[in-house]
Amino acid sequence: MSQEKKAEVLPSTPIEPLRLKIIFGIFAVGFVYILVGLVLRQLVEANKFQDQYETQSRRLVILPPARGRIYDRHGYVLVDNRVRWSVRANLADLEPEFRAEYRKLLAAEKARDTTFIDHDHLRETAKVAVLQTWLNKVWYVIDENNKQTTGGKVLVKAAPLTALQDRIIHVEDLRKHLQDRRALPFTLISDLAFPGSGHAQTSEQGIRSVARFIEQFPVDGPVTLESDIVRTYPYGSLAAHVLGYVKDTDDLPEVNDFADLQIDSLSKLKYTGKKGAAGIEQSFDEILQGRSGWELWTKSSAGYNKSLLTKSDPVQGQHIFLSLDIEVQKAAEKALAQIKDSQGNVLPAAAIMLDVNTGEILAMASQPTFDPNRLADRVTANYYNEIEEAGGWLNRAIQGLYPPGSTFKVITAIAGMRHKVVDWDTILECGPSYRVGGRDFPEHDPAGYGEVDLNKMLAVSCNVWNYQVGVALGIDKLAEEARRFGVDAPLLRQITSPDVTSEFQLPYPATRLVVPDAAYKQRIGAGAWTAGDTANVSIGQGFLLTSPLHMACVAASLARGETRTTPYIIHDKGRDGVHLGATPIGISETQLNALRGGMQRCVEEGTARSVRIQGLPYSAKTGTSEYFKKGEKAHLAWIMGYAPADNPAVAFCVLVEGQLDTSTWGGKTAGPVARDMILAWAKKTADAPETEPGR
Amino acid sequence: MERNRQGAKAAYVLLTIVMVLWVLSPSVVRRFNREAFTEFQAPALHLVGKGRDLARYWELKSRNTEDLVAASRDLARVNAALELKLAMMQDLRDENKRLREIARYTPPNTFYTVVARVGLRETSSWWHRINVRKGLDDGVRPGCPVIFGDRVVGRVTVVHKNSAEVDLITSPAFRCTAFLEGDDQGRMVVVDGRAANSLTPPAARVWNIPYDYSIPAGTVPKVVTTGLGGIYPAHLVLGTLEANLRNAQDGNFKEGVLRPGRDLFSLQEVTILVPTKPSRAEDLLSGRYDELQ
Repeated sequence: MSQEKKAEVLPSTPIEPLRLKIIFGIFAVGFVYILVGLVLRQLVEANKFQDQYETQSRRLVILPPARGRIYDRHGYVLVDNRVRWSVRANLADLEPEFRAEYRKLLAAEKARDTTFIDHDHLRETAKVAVLQTWLNKVWYVIDENNKQTTGGKVLVKAAPLTALQDRIIHVEDLRKHLQDRRALPFTLISDLAFPGSGHAQTSEQGIRSVARFIEQFPVDGPVTLESDIVRTYPYGSLAAHVLGYVKDTDDLPEVNDFADLQIDSLSKLKYTGKKGAAGIEQSFDEILQGRSGWELWTKSSAGYNKSLLTKSDPVQGQHIFLSLDIEVQKAAEKALAQIKDSQGNVLPAAAIMLDVNTGEILAMASQPTFDPNRLADRVTANYYNEIEEAGGWLNRAIQGLYPPGSTFKVITAIAGMRHKVVDWDTILECGPSYRVGGRDFPEHDPAGYGEVDLNKMLAVSCNVWNYQVGVALGIDKLAEEARRFGVDAPLLRQITSPDVTSEFQLPYPATRLVVPDAAYKQRIGAGAWTAGDTANVSIGQGFLLTSPLHMACVAASLARGETRTTPYIIHDKGRDGVHLGATPIGISETQLNALRGGMQRCVEEGTARSVRIQGLPYSAKTGTSEYFKKGEKAHLAWIMGYAPADNPAVAFCVLVEGQLDTSTWGGKTAGPVARDMILAWAKKTADAPETEPGR
Repeated sequence: MERNRQGAKAAYVLLTIVMVLWVLSPSVVRRFNREAFTEFQAPALHLVGKGRDLARYWELKSRNTEDLVAASRDLARVNAALELKLAMMQDLRDENKRLREIARYTPPNTFYTVVARVGLRETSSWWHRINVRKGLDDGVRPGCPVIFGDRVVGRVTVVHKNSAEVDLITSPAFRCTAFLEGDDQGRMVVVDGRAANSLTPPAARVWNIPYDYSIPAGTVPKVVTTGLGGIYPAHLVLGTLEANLRNAQDGNFKEGVLRPGRDLFSLQEVTILVPTKPSRAEDLLSGRYDELQ
């Protein structure tokens, strides 16, 4: 009853049916409009919006892989990767602190009644201030040298690990980071543990700093310790020319496991990776590089990475086992470093040792050299120029082109025997000089050597014997013999990598090798070929140009009684000892033995007698050739050969570039390097471990 | 009916006002409330621990006399051996002190110990934590290492008046540096807790293991603290390294699983090592750093 009364008290206002219909109609149209819009957005344009969402809100970060390691033939690591600990600030997490600091600065500006406020500058200043505060905290924790006084005040400046200017956030660095890599954490301290970075005086101190950070900073704070991988060369400059070095690249290896991500529409960010810039690092770059990884992040409105959606880890590159033997390599480089000019500077030189049977290179050294560790991260202009001025970039073992001098006499002798100009026991009268085409070609001993056979020629390195044989042969036969031994053959060889077999080139080999003949002289516009030119070539002079590696290959070929040796830089236990293009030398066993005997006599009592090894007879041929340095004549010291004499296992070649004011001789200057390499090889062979490390 | 509806409205209004006040209240007020709540429930936690001790007591009480006599005899022997060891340790301590004085060597940070009963154990997929019945009043500070015997249990994270929360070494918030037994080169590795599946036993992750490290055949290598980080003394045992090491994605390091030495969730008592001199991290946490600047 009471409810009825209330209904009477509150009468509803009557509405005309037409008006009601109009209102309903308007609402209906509105709802239809919304519904159609909803259908359009959700069904028809869904893909478009999905693409927009992915493009605008997601970011793909490409991660570089760790490069594969490089080992020597016994498994000792020659090139490795080390961890680089860096302290980084996650800018997205610090955003509230940036805003708070900005408000503080803004209030201060307003309090000063400044007429114009540069808000962008204030925001930047706020960021720098916050980052500086965090950097100070980090140093406070990790630097043990920050002592506390008795009053409790912190002496931040007391004997810091690193210079104070390195403890300051530079606004330019931050600006560059925000411009190029806003999404990535900002690096506060780079390479904390490495003494070379300047943040630690010793590696122990560096490790202690890392440990202090790990234990004393919160795990999930805005400042974190992150690690990445840096290329490292544990033996410094050892075999630097063979190993090469790496440089920065944004061109990271391909990624092919994106699954169903539409990567074309995504914004991408790449970390800086490394690629080989020289040596094996460059030649085998594809094998060493591995496969890049990726991370898919959501982006915040400020452009920072917000949360990780999914990722794929990078895959490390494959490892490579080189044919080098670290002990022989060390011996070669140590011996080369002792050859100096009158000012005490290291003379430019190269040394090589090969396995006679397989052709695998056991040592390849070149002086002056460089430390790839100093090139692995950032190259300073000073260090680059230092190497440039010293001529340290050149790998003289394979890139240097030199007249081979008297080491070539073995080829002249073989050509003479093959074409029956002389035999192993033919005796030639050798005076102080030999007249060819109206010009006297001198003997290096003014007294001459009198009656000389093949054996004596090789022992004393008689020039006149070779002039006579060479002129009698003529340049065509002499050149043909040199080419049979591959003196001018380019170094393109088949090298077996860990997984693939394909054509590889030794790093930057010389290509302009010259075995001259009449056509060559004509081609370079030097006139007609003369008998005097042939006399010069017969003793390894004149237009003849080859590399130390080629002469080492000649020595290895002689040791096996063949014409060619294929040098390999990659170690393969199953290598069969078959050499590309190798044929028997084509002289009788007696002639070959006489040749080998002469080379052995060279060491026992000839030009290399100063470097003979008691109890380990070996065979060698020395050479001292002339070349022009800065327009003046200087000498090249050569020695090539093999050891042991009776059962050759290794062949070697050493070259030293003499200076104008420094006397250099094949036996005296280059000989000690060869001797030290042989001794190191002999010791290693005697001490050969049963198992190889690193395998 | 109308009155009821009005009452319900008032409750909603009140709830809204409280929520708005809570949101708008300064962080100091909110923090105070949280602390007050913790302190309020502390006696309850204390009681839970005491209750467990009492249960244990009655359990032991129910043993027969012969068992107790045998256990007492064993305990007496252990005590005698320990007393002998203590005497020897005292000799070593004196000798150590004498040598340090001669060498004028500044000793590393020293600790005093606080023995605490475990009050509550909290486990989830996200964290592994225990609550101990010692707090600020006993000198416990945040960041102090917690051990049992020579083994690391965890680290104090939050300290209340009479209790403290300890993150166990299997908690994702735990991290410390370590050495591996059998690594002659003494290279540093990192141990951190990891979120565990509910069906697997708690474990921690050992990473930064050099690629050329391999577990000596037939051994289960211990993982011990380095003492380099300024928090944990050296040579405390974190646990043992499981045999199946896997290569990290960068190929230069390996990762492994650390099994804690003790069943962390059945500990009755732990020892808190309180450094005599606060660590730098403590300065940051306590605000002392800001005062010094």
